Amino acid sequence: MRNMRPEAAVIFAATALFFLYFLFNPLAVLLMNSFNTGFGVGLANYISVLNNSDITLALSNSLGISLASALISTFMAFMLAYSVNCTRIAEPIKSAIRTGVLLPMLLPTITYGFAIIYSFGKQGFITRLLGREIIEIYGFNGLLMGYVIYTLPSAFLLINSAFGYMDKKFIIISKLMGDGFLRSFFNTVIRPLIGAIGGAFVMSFVLSFTDFGIPASVGGSYSVIATYLYQAMLGAIPDFNSGSVIAVLMLIPAAFGVLLLNYLERFNFHYDKLSNTELPGNSFRDIALGSASMLVVLGIMAVFLVMFITPFVKSFPYDMSFTTEFFTATLSSGGILYVFGNSLIVSIFSAVFGTIVAYGAALVNTRTNADKSLRLSTDVFSMITNTVPGMVLGLSYLVFFNGSSLKGTFAIIIICNIIHFFTTPYLMAKNSLSKLNPAWEITGELMGDKWINTIARVIVPNSASTMLDMVSYFFINSMITISAIIFLVTARTAVVTSKIKELQHFANFNEVFVLSILIFFTNISFRIISGYFNKKLSSNQ
Amino acid sequence: MLELQNISKKFDGKAVLEGISLEIQKGEIVSILGPSGSGKTTLLNIILGLTAQDEGRIIFEGRDISKVPMKDRGFNIVFQDYALFPNLNAYKNIVYGLKNKPNIISNDELEGIISFLELGPHLNKRINQLSGGQKQRVALARTLATKPGILLLDEPLSALDGVIKETIKNRIKAITREFSLTTIIVTHDPEEALTLSDKILIIENGGISQFGTPNEVIHKPGNSFVEEFIIRQLRVKRDNIYSLFGECYA
Repeated sequence: MRNMRPEAAVIFAATALFFLYFLFNPLAVLLMNSFNTGFGVGLANYISVLNNSDITLALSNSLGISLASALISTFMAFMLAYSVNCTRIAEPIKSAIRTGVLLPMLLPTITYGFAIIYSFGKQGFITRLLGREIIEIYGFNGLLMGYVIYTLPSAFLLINSAFGYMDKKFIIISKLMGDGFLRSFFNTVIRPLIGAIGGAFVMSFVLSFTDFGIPASVGGSYSVIATYLYQAMLGAIPDFNSGSVIAVLMLIPAAFGVLLLNYLERFNFHYDKLSNTELPGNSFRDIALGSASMLVVLGIMAVFLVMFITPFVKSFPYDMSFTTEFFTATLSSGGILYVFGNSLIVSIFSAVFGTIVAYGAALVNTRTNADKSLRLSTDVFSMITNTVPGMVLGLSYLVFFNGSSLKGTFAIIIICNIIHFFTTPYLMAKNSLSKLNPAWEITGELMGDKWINTIARVIVPNSASTMLDMVSYFFINSMITISAIIFLVTARTAVVTSKIKELQHFANFNEVFVLSILIFFTNISFRIISGYFNKKLSSNQ
Repeated sequence: MLELQNISKKFDGKAVLEGISLEIQKGEIVSILGPSGSGKTTLLNIILGLTAQDEGRIIFEGRDISKVPMKDRGFNIVFQDYALFPNLNAYKNIVYGLKNKPNIISNDELEGIISFLELGPHLNKRINQLSGGQKQRVALARTLATKPGILLLDEPLSALDGVIKETIKNRIKAITREFSLTTIIVTHDPEEALTLSDKILIIENGGISQFGTPNEVIHKPGNSFVEEFIIRQLRVKRDNIYSLFGECYA
């Protein structure tokens, strides 16, 4: 093997230093904090936390409700993906299912809770439509509903893409061999997808377990670990040491989940050659699954519908006459536009720099002859960032950067976002870069290029559409995140999601929804624009 | 003249090439022929400078280039899949190297290469609009535009359809004559090697099995490997074709 190109070495060194300083250091300090008793190092904090029955109750509540929502979400995601991939439901309905189920991804989770309250609460929109309150929404039911809506899109994406790798010819073969429905279903659908189904379950569990926005809005008196952590750190009496312990306790199931996800990978089938096969017709199957899926999608939309109504009526739900008064009043009150501007700044910078960091790391990993251990290390960065829940990351920043000049700046929020959302864009870049012709750099070198010239002239232009997807991912997630940054914002650097949390105290729900609408349309516009450019890029090649 | 002296290479302790020595004259077409895993691509990469040999020396025109890095050897290669840059059109691919070394080739010479390869009508096309043979010619033009000391071709015909193979064969021969270029070709197809080249280097298990002209290989096979794996295959092909056309061709 020849020596590593100097430019690649620089990129690697910069990436490694970035993660060392902004990921490993804060986590190490957090861990040390959890063992620091004030009288030396010991397990005293852990013992006192685990003896606190409030905390153990919150912990077991979190475990229980996350398991329940993961179960429901995985089942629904499978049903939706099966309807989209294994039936002859009309294409417009399929595409409505595909789009509809993903819409909640454009909204912060804290909005979910308020939408649920305004839909199903005592005076809720859906409650009034139905004439009676169907469920008690504060606490377990509301949380469960929120978690399912939150995790369904991710679970669906995972299972749906696994369906794409499944060879449907086997369904036909199984039929021809005379298999009954159950045997055929198990062997040709469930078995090839079992890895993805398991993965969707684990991912839904981890997402629910670590989410902050939903319990912050609809949790009521039902305490979960995320709200407990928030109170321990930002409540009346901040307690850094037990906060650190709770953060570590939150990290354990998340870490376990990521290990489990990696283990489940090996159950995934990878057929080399995929063929598209016509599926046998079955009107009962199509009508039943089509209606059930549309019900799920319409249900999700119904929950969010209220958010677009409330701010535009005089006094919800008593006087339903249309007015733009609240909307214009909210927008013209300087504070709202200020935080919206902050959110845009944070998201744009997170998107640009996050894409640079993730793309650079993926370049070193896939397009250099770097040492195996160097290449492995960027994979390790990605795995760790995937493991650490946003709240834990934010908390570790709060502890680590407490006395530093970064405290209270936009920079710390942006860096936190880059680390928090690193994994997915990194994997996107890795996937795309590893598919490009491995001989391009050699060809470029033979034509007199330095390595970095070939990267700029050939590799980057040929992965531009992936870069656009990466930018879009960072941007949208930075717009909607609350879990990590809730510990880092100040009055000056407040973003939309943290403002929503603040408005909750004043029961100012019109403004909450106006802000949510702003986020929603910003994200949708971003999607549409990046989709347009992506189409242009792919038609150029 | 290119001279290889006692070239050896191991990967993970396993010998891939052992004691390869030979001389290639200027302007010759030499095919490296062998079954997959025989080490022929490794030998090509060692000549190119992409892979470093463990032992042995490479002498090019009297100069020891054993330790000269790939970039400075002045050789160039056309890869099996051509490695054309899809973000650039055919012309921009061809002149890619001229951005780095603008004076390497004159405009007249460049136009000469383009017209010789009949690429004029295709210069503004995107790579995915070109046929397999056209891609091959663009890749050849891109490589020739850097005026390589030696032209290396990795399985140049394997990605092409039957009819076009013969055309490209003639084209490669003509290029070598036109630019008096030393050309080294890696192939696993005996027919291709024997009909295309001045000399054939047959490699088996990392060593030279035979090095000679097509005539020598056919009529004086050096050993049982050449006899069994190369001559027999060609005889089967010949007999099949004879039986198609009738005995009068025999």
